[in-house]
Amino acid sequence: MFDLLHYGFMQRALLGSFLVGTVCSFIGVYVVLRGMAFMGDGIAHASFGGVTLGFLLGINPLFTAIVFALGTAGLIQFAQRRARIRLDTAIGIFFSFTMALAILFIGLMRSYDARLYGYLFGNVLGMSSGNLVLTAALAVVVTAAIALLFKEFKFLAFDEEAARAAGLPTPLLSTLLLLLVALTIVVSIKAVGIILVASLLVAPAATAYQLTNRFGTMFFLSWLAGVVSCLSGMFISYWLNIPSGASIVLVATLLFALAAVFSPKRRPCKVCGAEIAK
Amino acid sequence: MNNQLTPEPAIMVKTGLAVQFRNVSVTFPETVGLEDVSLDVATGEFLAVIGPNGSGKTTLLRTILGLANPARGTVTVLGTHPAQARRHIGYVPQRTPFDPKFPVSVFDVALMGTYGALGILHAPDQRDKGRVMGLLEAVGLADVASHVAGHLSGGQQQRLLIARALAAQPQLLLLDEPTSGVDVASQKSIIELIRGLHDKLKLTTLLVTHDINEVMPCLDKVLYLNRRVYAFGTCQDVLNRETLEKLYQSPVLIVEQEGRPYVIVSDRHV
Repeated sequence: MFDLLHYGFMQRALLGSFLVGTVCSFIGVYVVLRGMAFMGDGIAHASFGGVTLGFLLGINPLFTAIVFALGTAGLIQFAQRRARIRLDTAIGIFFSFTMALAILFIGLMRSYDARLYGYLFGNVLGMSSGNLVLTAALAVVVTAAIALLFKEFKFLAFDEEAARAAGLPTPLLSTLLLLLVALTIVVSIKAVGIILVASLLVAPAATAYQLTNRFGTMFFLSWLAGVVSCLSGMFISYWLNIPSGASIVLVATLLFALAAVFSPKRRPCKVCGAEIAK
Repeated sequence: MNNQLTPEPAIMVKTGLAVQFRNVSVTFPETVGLEDVSLDVATGEFLAVIGPNGSGKTTLLRTILGLANPARGTVTVLGTHPAQARRHIGYVPQRTPFDPKFPVSVFDVALMGTYGALGILHAPDQRDKGRVMGLLEAVGLADVASHVAGHLSGGQQQRLLIARALAAQPQLLLLDEPTSGVDVASQKSIIELIRGLHDKLKLTTLLVTHDINEVMPCLDKVLYLNRRVYAFGTCQDVLNRETLEKLYQSPVLIVEQEGRPYVIVSDRHV
């Protein structure tokens, strides 16, 4: 197995999986606590529009994906605030709009590009040095923002109204958090693919949520679950020759199932269930 | 603690008023929140705001915080604009129960009160943490400081919100129905806590409630609000039989019980 590590592609895949697992599991804590899972799904699908446009124009698809992801995240929030529609309605509208664009762009291509498959289902083993550098740069930006605004995001996630009353710039913070989610998704597309990236945003944090009542501990456990899922999923992808998105998400879901079954939080909840049943 | 809570002199010299409303109206798309409200709250005063449900009590507090903007009139809070004064205001919102599954401890929640004043990139230091622990002691939550905030009882959550508001080292404390959804024994002890804190800190306090007896015996001033100012003045001016009978438009009886006045409006309490 250690011979594998001499290969350049394997080193890039290892580092790439580690970065994606880290950044997804950190931002995932807020996605889970603020209930942004559908938003994550919407942004992921929106970035597919960007990927296909990149292929159509012959430029790096990750750059156009960043533009689409950030743009859609911004538009969703703008539409929600201006048009006063429910968040899930706004997501639903832009989600299908950008998917329609993606299908349009694919239709405009003279031939189907097989590399699209890697963006849809993840191909961490095929990560280029350029992609790795971009992934690393975005991972640093996202992690640094989370570290610097740790207490602000915590207050925002717990009680947005009180945070605003306390003088925190909550509209700015929630927009920033949304942009960080969008960046995280683009960073992770290469490893897990557009279809499955939303799962990696949620599963590690949800796993941690089952196991702890401490905010800081939740970050650590989420990180552990995210990195373990990504690294083991990457090896499974290599051995079984399947898309890495599938294997990573299967491991992440398995970890969640184990955590849910053995959760110490389950016990008191059985009592609440009984009370409701009465 | 007293020193840290002393208001900046520059602000106070200007007016001597913590809150000033001049002909303030707040309108919402479908309803009127406040209509032509004028009032002064002097520094260090305890103002009880009484009114039925939907009378604009919460809107009054949100206007002081700059979270609701007046369509007409001017609002001055701590000598400045509400939004700028926000950091110096401790706000105890009407309680919505904490998410029992959110992974934060009681201490974490109280510490959040310090975030606004600290600003971005500054973490609370040992002194802030010590101060917050002292506040948890003052509200009687020191021994559950490490518990999950959402697992506290209603009364305990209310005390925690008070501790969080005080952690901001406010010059003005706003409390919105701090006893709603709390059992009777806790209601009494929460009101006693608020009065005790006001005594000790000399902190300008606005307490909003729909139950007039909650603020008996009255401390300084009373505002009876029903979108408009129905009555505003000292306790003696407002809480006498004639004024109350006009307000409630029915016979009012004021009885003494255990040395405290108790208002009864035509065979039912208010």
